[in-house]
Amino acid sequence: MTLRPTALRNLSLLLRHYPRRSYGSSTSVNPSEISHFDKLASSWWDPHGSSRLLHQMNPLRHDFISSCLDSQPDPPSTAKRRYLDVGCGGGIFAESAARLPSTESVVALDPSSEVITVAQEHARKDPLLLQPGRLEYRNYSVEDLSHPQSPKDKFDVLTLFEVIEHINKPGPFLHSCLPFVKPGGWLVLSTIARTWTSWFTTKFIAEEVVRLVPRGTHDWEKYVNEEELRRFFRGLEGWGSDGGVRCQGVVFVPGLGWRVVDGGEKLGNYFFGVRKDGGRS
Amino acid sequence: MANFSATKRLLSLPASARAAFLAPTRAFSVLKRPFPNYEGHVPLNVFERGALAAGSAVMSLLNPRRGDLIAALGETTATPYFIYRLRDAMLSNPTGRRILRDRPRITSRTMSVEKLRALPDNSVGRAYVGWLDGEGVSPDTRDSVKYIDNEECAYVMQRYRESHDFYHAITGLPVFVEGEVALKAFEFANTLLPMTGLSLFAVTRMKPAERSRFWQTYLPWAISNGLKSKEVINVYWEEELERDVADLRAELGLERPPDLRETRKTLREQRKAAKEEKEKISGLTSGKPFVGS
Amino acid sequence: MAVGTPSRALRPYTCSSCARSLKLRSRKFATAASPDIYDVVCVGGGPTGLSLLTALRSSKATSHLRLALVESQDLDRARKWDLPPDQYSNRASSLTPSSQFFLSKIGAWPHVDTSRVQPYHHMRVWDGLSSTARIAFDSPAPEPAIAHMTENQNLTRALLARLESLEPITIFDKTSVANINLGSQPSSPASEDTSLDLSSYPHVTLSSDHTVATRLLVGADGINGPVRTFAGIRTRGWDYDRHGVVATLRLPSDFSHDPGNSRGVTAYQRFLPTGPIALLALPGSYASLVWTATSTQAAKLKSLSTEDFLAMVNAAFRLSVVDLDYMFALSSGQFDELQWRESVSSSTSKEASGDIPQAVEGVQNNSIASFPLRLRHASSYTTHRTALVGDAAHTIHPLAGQGLNMGLGDSRSLASAIEYAVIHGADIGNEMNCLDKYNSEMWMGNNRMLGAVDKLHWLYSVKNGPVIPLRGLGLRAVDALGEWGVKRWVMRQAGAL
Repeated sequence: MTLRPTALRNLSLLLRHYPRRSYGSSTSVNPSEISHFDKLASSWWDPHGSSRLLHQMNPLRHDFISSCLDSQPDPPSTAKRRYLDVGCGGGIFAESAARLPSTESVVALDPSSEVITVAQEHARKDPLLLQPGRLEYRNYSVEDLSHPQSPKDKFDVLTLFEVIEHINKPGPFLHSCLPFVKPGGWLVLSTIARTWTSWFTTKFIAEEVVRLVPRGTHDWEKYVNEEELRRFFRGLEGWGSDGGVRCQGVVFVPGLGWRVVDGGEKLGNYFFGVRKDGGRS
Repeated sequence: MANFSATKRLLSLPASARAAFLAPTRAFSVLKRPFPNYEGHVPLNVFERGALAAGSAVMSLLNPRRGDLIAALGETTATPYFIYRLRDAMLSNPTGRRILRDRPRITSRTMSVEKLRALPDNSVGRAYVGWLDGEGVSPDTRDSVKYIDNEECAYVMQRYRESHDFYHAITGLPVFVEGEVALKAFEFANTLLPMTGLSLFAVTRMKPAERSRFWQTYLPWAISNGLKSKEVINVYWEEELERDVADLRAELGLERPPDLRETRKTLREQRKAAKEEKEKISGLTSGKPFVGS
Repeated sequence: MAVGTPSRALRPYTCSSCARSLKLRSRKFATAASPDIYDVVCVGGGPTGLSLLTALRSSKATSHLRLALVESQDLDRARKWDLPPDQYSNRASSLTPSSQFFLSKIGAWPHVDTSRVQPYHHMRVWDGLSSTARIAFDSPAPEPAIAHMTENQNLTRALLARLESLEPITIFDKTSVANINLGSQPSSPASEDTSLDLSSYPHVTLSSDHTVATRLLVGADGINGPVRTFAGIRTRGWDYDRHGVVATLRLPSDFSHDPGNSRGVTAYQRFLPTGPIALLALPGSYASLVWTATSTQAAKLKSLSTEDFLAMVNAAFRLSVVDLDYMFALSSGQFDELQWRESVSSSTSKEASGDIPQAVEGVQNNSIASFPLRLRHASSYTTHRTALVGDAAHTIHPLAGQGLNMGLGDSRSLASAIEYAVIHGADIGNEMNCLDKYNSEMWMGNNRMLGAVDKLHWLYSVKNGPVIPLRGLGLRAVDALGEWGVKRWVMRQAGAL
């Protein structure tokens, strides 16, 4: 299905209901969801299509990652970075990360083979992305990926953009991501808070009033709040000490695009980053 | 074509009114007069000019023989806009420009009456001198301009005044009130000088027969000819003296009005004949000659 | 796979003179090996195109991009341009402080020969039909100047020098664009083939037969350049039925740019019904003329003797419109007419007070030229993988001297959009996160400027009617409200502050 921009909707919510899949607590992926995303595949790279909001949000993801890396107590390494993008979709973030001069390589995962095909097809349009080792797409879910053996096979930045709100049990899912992050590296995610505003805009306005999306598209119960993420990582040994937890709210303003808003995590969309303790040697 | 240019002239009225709207009002007191801009110049402030205009208008209407008052009225009402328009009309025309450069004056010194009398009958010069002789006036009977601040515009006013007798000559309109008013109406349509328009108030002093003749014959002639003919201010009269009058009229696009003197003469004769007829009849009845009032 | 804007089909561009000879060649290229791929190919090496390339090279984030310039002229002539101090090019522009700031930022300003640049601190603008309606602009402090008069060639040479002091770019000069096409579609789908797909990349075939592909094609190639044709971007606008007459003039040799005012020089502009005439100071006793005239008047000005031409220029700042119209109708003798009119109403006091410029004394040989004036505005500055800058995007009436400044503004904006895209990993040929930023930053502002200048043109071409006292009142009101910041606002709109 294609979504057209509408003045009434809370646009941030639209992020929620398309090309991101529900990851089960196991590696199995709901087949009906896959077919849903297969239909959406062609719109991933249409700048006026339904993925427009994701495209528009993408620079803010980089800004947030940069702010995380810059906040480290030890000076950030000048070595080029390795990224693992979990739930890469059509590759909006993966491509942009691979283009950065500071990037060594990007590995991007998605359990939908259709989506991976779209991503690979699109990457052919850029000679830079075809450089060997620069950008690698894998049709896997993170649980299926074998754990890296040596620290150098691990990643400086692991990204989960618009993923965990689709996960039935986010805790175990996050646990399966942790081993891929280098000591001193960052796990960065974006999602939406479970607040009355997000319920009002996604459940009530989008599904009941405007009927922008079918009833039941959003599972508000699954939305994850920032405090819950903080609590989760506080309980983990070796994560987020020395100010290694960062958060930034963002709000979509029609006509202006995405804007960084302090405290926005209490309203809806936000970025969250947590650092794995240890040096970067 | 001629009508077009006339329309344009009227339409352009507010344009050059810039001077009216935008010239800063000169403020000076009676005690602090600015220097004159030319010989004989009398600088006036806005109030003085207004008072002089109103006074001369009233007085000249009461006494049309006061040429000095009519002259003052002409000068005080020509600024700020109208005299500039007339000057610009001259500046837009090669002959007009030449007149402004040469600044010729029409006086008995520059116009030799004897020489003019020697010209052929149908020439402009002969018509002019014939007109002077007939009316018993001389070229020197014109006052000097003194209330117009711009020196060049003062000359334009002077030139208009001195050319006035030539207008009589080529139109053949006589100097008594009826002819004068018809010529002023023509001048108003042609030069847009306000005084010429104000002179039309003299219509009130006419006899009813003259008035109806004016409305029915001379005013329509004056307006249509004044608008459609070329600007008569641009005629270099000194160079046209030997020219055939009809020829010059044709060049200016001017029709000759019905001869007022002839008309009046005919009318007078008709009236006289009618009166005699009446007398004859009354004489027959009363047997006593009747002496009219 | 929807990429770009399928609704707006890109039209291949082929230079008409090359169309026939290229028929066979383009077929050959369709199957040829993949061409040279650049990040940015800029067509047009004028100040706008050069400033864009220089901005990209001088920014840390974009300095690594692969850049190419296509220019039909011999750039050696621009590099070696050199005039003696008593000669000035007739194409000079007022660079606003914002333009100058941009040129400094990209490191080009130090390469400008400042001995040939004239800053000015004062402006006198007045209405030809109501001589008392005038406005005076004075920049508040000695610095900054309202603008800097700079020869376009001086700026071009400086930009080239700066560009060539940086990491080299590929330059194809003495080379024109033969045609522009999109790359061919890949023969097989991605599942079987991971080879490069350049079907969305513009492929520019040069007159040298060489073909380059580019991520972003920039058209700095003027009003009817090949890039806009290729991009299928329409323009709207009209011709003014006016010509801009330019010349390099000489003022009296003892001329010290501003009599009675030591703070700086003055730019003069008088609005005549046909259009404004402007005299802008160059260093020494020289000045640059820009006179908007009808095509008949322009032809007349070019046909006059030097003496009569100078008389016309001086008359245009001094005499009434009636006199000027009359003098335009003369085949010669304008000098004589001016002398006579000056003897009737002298302008020496106005000259002494600096309200009008000093009388010009000479005109540089062969410096009188004219060009038709037009208004054009592209409906958009960008499509997928193409962007238009400068005259390719907009052509403006020169009355506000904004043409070159708008072009430099485009370059600054596009370079910063590209920088943003590179920092955030976006494809610099994409509308999203790159070209859209440029278009949305510049289009509305430029459209406002084009509209304002166009309205000024029509306002001042009115000869009759109540408009004249009203516009005089407006001008005087702005002048009088100077203390309340209105003038500063007007100047800011013109980029002067």
